[in-house]
Amino acid sequence: MPHALATEVKSACDLTLNQVGVGCDVTIRVLSGPGCDRLRDLGLCEQLQVRKLSGGRNLICSVCGTRLAISRELAEQVLVAPVD
Amino acid sequence: MHTFPESPSTIALIGNPNAGKTTLFNALTGSNQKVGNYSGVTVELTSGETFTPHGKKLRVLDLPGCYSLRAPSPDEQVAVDALHGRLPGFAKPDLVVCVLDASNLERHLQLALQVIELRMPTVLALNMVDMAEKSGLRLDPVKLSEELGVPVVPMQASANKGIIELKQALRFPFPTAPEAKWSAGGGDLEAARRGFIRQLCELAARRPDAHQLTFSDRLDGWLLHPVFGGMVFLAIMFTVFWAIFSFAKIPMGWIEAAQGALAGRVAGLMPAGDLRSLLVDGVLGGVGGVLVFLPQIVLLFLFIGLLESSGYMARAAYLMDGVMAKAGLSGKAFLPLFSSYACAIPGVMATRTIGSAKERLVTIFIAPWMSCSARLPVYFLIIPLLLHETEGSWKQALVMFAIYTLGTLSAFVVARLLRRQLGPDSGAHHFMLELPPYRRPQWGYILRHVIEHAWSFVAKAGTIILGLSILLWALSTYPKVEGDRATALAASTMGRIGAVIEPVVKPLGFDGRVGTAILTSFAAREVFNSSLAVLFRVDQAASKEATRNSLRDRLAASRWPDGTPLFTPLSMISLLVFYIYALQCLPTTAIVAKESGSWKWALGQFVFMSGFAYVAALVVFQGGKLIGF
Repeated sequence: MPHALATEVKSACDLTLNQVGVGCDVTIRVLSGPGCDRLRDLGLCEQLQVRKLSGGRNLICSVCGTRLAISRELAEQVLVAPVD
Repeated sequence: MHTFPESPSTIALIGNPNAGKTTLFNALTGSNQKVGNYSGVTVELTSGETFTPHGKKLRVLDLPGCYSLRAPSPDEQVAVDALHGRLPGFAKPDLVVCVLDASNLERHLQLALQVIELRMPTVLALNMVDMAEKSGLRLDPVKLSEELGVPVVPMQASANKGIIELKQALRFPFPTAPEAKWSAGGGDLEAARRGFIRQLCELAARRPDAHQLTFSDRLDGWLLHPVFGGMVFLAIMFTVFWAIFSFAKIPMGWIEAAQGALAGRVAGLMPAGDLRSLLVDGVLGGVGGVLVFLPQIVLLFLFIGLLESSGYMARAAYLMDGVMAKAGLSGKAFLPLFSSYACAIPGVMATRTIGSAKERLVTIFIAPWMSCSARLPVYFLIIPLLLHETEGSWKQALVMFAIYTLGTLSAFVVARLLRRQLGPDSGAHHFMLELPPYRRPQWGYILRHVIEHAWSFVAKAGTIILGLSILLWALSTYPKVEGDRATALAASTMGRIGAVIEPVVKPLGFDGRVGTAILTSFAAREVFNSSLAVLFRVDQAASKEATRNSLRDRLAASRWPDGTPLFTPLSMISLLVFYIYALQCLPTTAIVAKESGSWKWALGQFVFMSGFAYVAALVVFQGGKLIGF
């Protein structure tokens, strides 16, 4: 349901990085889960802006000019909100 | 040694993977460590020397890249231990140079702050400022330095820019250990660090507001596409193999011609006798039989260097993650396994970048089945016998591709079974990979590394292979009996060994001579070619002495005692299959024992792989005969 998702992105704040559409710019709100330390080390920190570049088995996102590939399980632990 | 007052002070280079530590290390010390464009190229500590502007000697340590000082993977642990002076033989560093990629300060400063918190004298090297400024970033190193309380040196290590400025900062006395002002308030240190970095980047590294699609982004759109990306990947791999086959032909022809001319000259100058036989058949035949494959090995390393240096390697790991998952591994295992195509030893060492201990063990176990460059001489000897050149070099490349695929696929099957045996990991290790920007290959480093590998290959031909060639010559010449050369060979030590081995290898389609050559190649695979060159000279005597046929022609002409050809397509495939699987490399077994921390693992691997090779070749030959080949 792409339409329903698109409206959700505007309203709700706690989407995971998996649920965001490709090409969207989002801000990381919370990291929660066992992999979050590692995610922070890689540069996926709270309040940073991220653009999702591709989905699929592993998704690619761009943070501060670097492309990172992370697994779906990890992306599940990244809660994001759309950029105002 | 750091207790002596006049001993040089130690400085350590630390930074995130791919920040350019090794490039800086090479620039400082003038050495030639391997540089790649993906994380985990440096997995061990390397040290070198440099001098301050006042001529005082400094010891420089190049640490493996790490994202934080928490260190979940073995290569990162090395870096953290070195920083604390816990590694035997290395003093605690007197100064830490934290290498940061200027275009990624938000991320790389994380590690820098953790280092500063250790209260060691610290200097920040802001590397690759040219790339950062090109991307529109406005950097303010002075502001950075003021806020962090440490010297900040903007530089571009790959072009040797900023090296002098960095050395100025390393002057005595070393800059004092700074105060970590973000940790002063107490509370959550992680959050404090993040807040501080955000403020700092607002002040000193402002990004252009709009998110821009870089060249790398656009290229990745194609190269990482689920369909096109896979096709491009296959095309690149096939091109590499095809190029190795077709381009190398020309220089190989020169080497063969030179070897033939030299042998002819020696044979013309000397009277017939044992010494001439030793020089022509033993030394020139044995060493030349291996040396002729130098061009192909050079090309293989050249292509691997190109892929590493351009940044495509990390994309390949990303693309292969899905495939690797089927084997119970992750994309992280791709880089070590791909390096194993060149040589299993660096491949096994590169597994240190894999966080999960069990995945690492499995990767180490299967790495030798990625056909390494030492097998190339054997493949290149046999494949043209199997498929003549007139069939087209693309067909030969296809066989080559099939060989690599067979080895790799069987490795994956074994990995999957083994992974299931070992059970799940204790902690969660998920796939996470940084895709570095595409860069123009650093030709200087690539060429130097190709030369290094080529030289080590030549050196091996000049030492181990020369020695074994002479030994084999002696074994196949003495004790001497009267009669033609075939009877002489049968009566020699080698002939007797061959007769003992023959029953073992006959079910695989080989005779005693091939069996002996295989036996000698357990020291190093390339020896197979020189052994054959020495052992098969008997057939050459039958033809005219003047025309020195290449080893390949001699093999094609060789027969069983009953007159049937020795090298049938089936026995050649059986031989290829044996070489795909057999683990015939002592250095690999030694490094596996070291890296896995268990001799049992290494010996188990050796026994399993050699046994598997025998059974596989047996199945191929006997099965093929049954079907009627």
